[in-house]
Amino acid sequence: MATRDASWLRSLVGEDRVHRAVYRDPEIFDFEMERIFGRTWLYVGHESQVPNPGDFFATRLAGQPVLMVRHAGDGKVYVLFNRCGHRGSQVTTHARGNVKFFRCSYHGWTFKTDGTVHGIPLRHGYPECYDLKGGEFGMRPVPRVDFYRGFVFASLAPNGPDLLTHLGPMTGRIDDVVDRAPAGEVALGGGVHKYHFHGNWKLQLENLNDMYHPHASHESTVATSGRQFRRGDRDGGGAELSTDRSGNPLSSWDDAGVWACPNGHGWCGAMPGTSGDGSGPVFERYQALLRTAHGEARTDEVLNLKWHNSIFYPNLVLQAMAQHVRVIHPVAVDRTEIHIYPILLKGAPQEMNLEVIRYLNITHAPASLIQTDDLEAFRRVQIGVGTQGAEWVVFGRGYGADDGTNDETRRAFGTSELPIRNQYKAWLGLMSTQSA
Amino acid sequence: MNDSTMGSGSPQHRAVDLRGVEAFLVQEAELLDDRRFEEWEELFDEDGYYWVPARPDQENPYDELSIFFDDRQLMRTRIARLRHPRIHIEDPPTRAVRLVGSIRIEPEAPLGVDLLVASKLFMATYRLREQRFYAARCHHALRVRGAGFKIAWKKVTLVNCDDSFDALTVPF
Repeated sequence: MATRDASWLRSLVGEDRVHRAVYRDPEIFDFEMERIFGRTWLYVGHESQVPNPGDFFATRLAGQPVLMVRHAGDGKVYVLFNRCGHRGSQVTTHARGNVKFFRCSYHGWTFKTDGTVHGIPLRHGYPECYDLKGGEFGMRPVPRVDFYRGFVFASLAPNGPDLLTHLGPMTGRIDDVVDRAPAGEVALGGGVHKYHFHGNWKLQLENLNDMYHPHASHESTVATSGRQFRRGDRDGGGAELSTDRSGNPLSSWDDAGVWACPNGHGWCGAMPGTSGDGSGPVFERYQALLRTAHGEARTDEVLNLKWHNSIFYPNLVLQAMAQHVRVIHPVAVDRTEIHIYPILLKGAPQEMNLEVIRYLNITHAPASLIQTDDLEAFRRVQIGVGTQGAEWVVFGRGYGADDGTNDETRRAFGTSELPIRNQYKAWLGLMSTQSA
Repeated sequence: MNDSTMGSGSPQHRAVDLRGVEAFLVQEAELLDDRRFEEWEELFDEDGYYWVPARPDQENPYDELSIFFDDRQLMRTRIARLRHPRIHIEDPPTRAVRLVGSIRIEPEAPLGVDLLVASKLFMATYRLREQRFYAARCHHALRVRGAGFKIAWKKVTLVNCDDSFDALTVPF
């Protein structure tokens, strides 16, 4: 591989295009884990997944096993590498659980739930020059952890912009999700969907604000009326995938719009034909609870959110109306795993939270009737960009026509490829910066 | 359930019952292998459902996500999509072979059904140079209808149900 310098990286990314190697080259993948996932803020989990002292939740950051744990000592949430401070063994093999102490299976060292050393068998065998209670021998904490309304983020780099600077206007998208709970708090619960695909992780991010693909990718979900089958009670008559109400293909998707923010973040407008939460006694009850809790103006705002997918570059995606968290785990240059967690609205009628579970089985299960179309698209791109001759993938839709009315957030027509151009701008920035 | 014809009858009856149940499960697997999805769906009772949990000890499909949880209406939507000429994930279609074995009738049937049948399923699928294997414990809750059965519910607990999966398209 060429020297990993800024000019090499710039040779891979143009304003409207990327070289096919960014999807295929294992060395670029390793470099992404170092410079992007190893540096910027990553979503870890939600505090509600570890409600009690000693609760832990296992996940991966930049492919490395970590534990989000609520420390019995101070009740705070820590993020620790799942690694014994003695000889490096993975400490727990469980996806979640509750412990008094973590105990390594290899030599029996134990650790408190903040990662500090608790007990060392036959401690007298170590000469005095070792500070066994020091951080070096503990389960090491991830360098930086921060929180926004219960959402836990971490950075593997000791220095860099703080979380709020990194998120910028995206905090408003978390507010939208959380303020849809009458209690002003959400919890992740109701299980998890886990699936993977044979493609690069960036293909998933490129897809989520791509409003150009549904009419073709998801054609098998469309009835002759041009509308998608209903996903549940809350989506009215089904998304208008092929035509709008006047029979005009795609124009309603353009009207929905896409937004691009600094650091690769952004969101896309609501799917045409799906706005609003429906009706019925449960919704009436929910609406009344919200108005009491948040007032008329905020209630009207959060009930009529104008966005579908919000991307928190590089590993988190939120949907407010189809209440869920999507986490992107890059596994290898051509393999990516996705985890989907339902968001439960505290204080909302139980029926609403149960309905979203039913909904997510249809939209995001490994056997989903919708998501599987996207996975096939990613698989085919991964194969297609292996061909020689056409060295570039061009994201030219709407290039040069982005609306820059706001300093921070740019808007474009719905089927514009602005979100993808925006993601590669962040990619190049992170990849070509030598130190944080 | 009519005790004089099913379940608690003589050993002879039990033998006949088990043979009938075995034939029913083998025929079900055959319909799926042959992609006769509409006929498969017809095996279910009107209130019937098909459930593939996402956790080994998952108690119900209502307050927790599932890999599949289809009532008759959702089955029909799923099958309509499987028949769509532009279902890209099934172009070309998945080929599948299902092996059903260790079939036994549980001593107790849950409320509202006549028989609870336990079985083991081994399924191999093939598409685009990739062969995959699935192993599961299955439970069929059956209602006796004339000379045959209707499925009140079918539960498929995959040995790796809480793992990550490649895209799944056809029922187990």
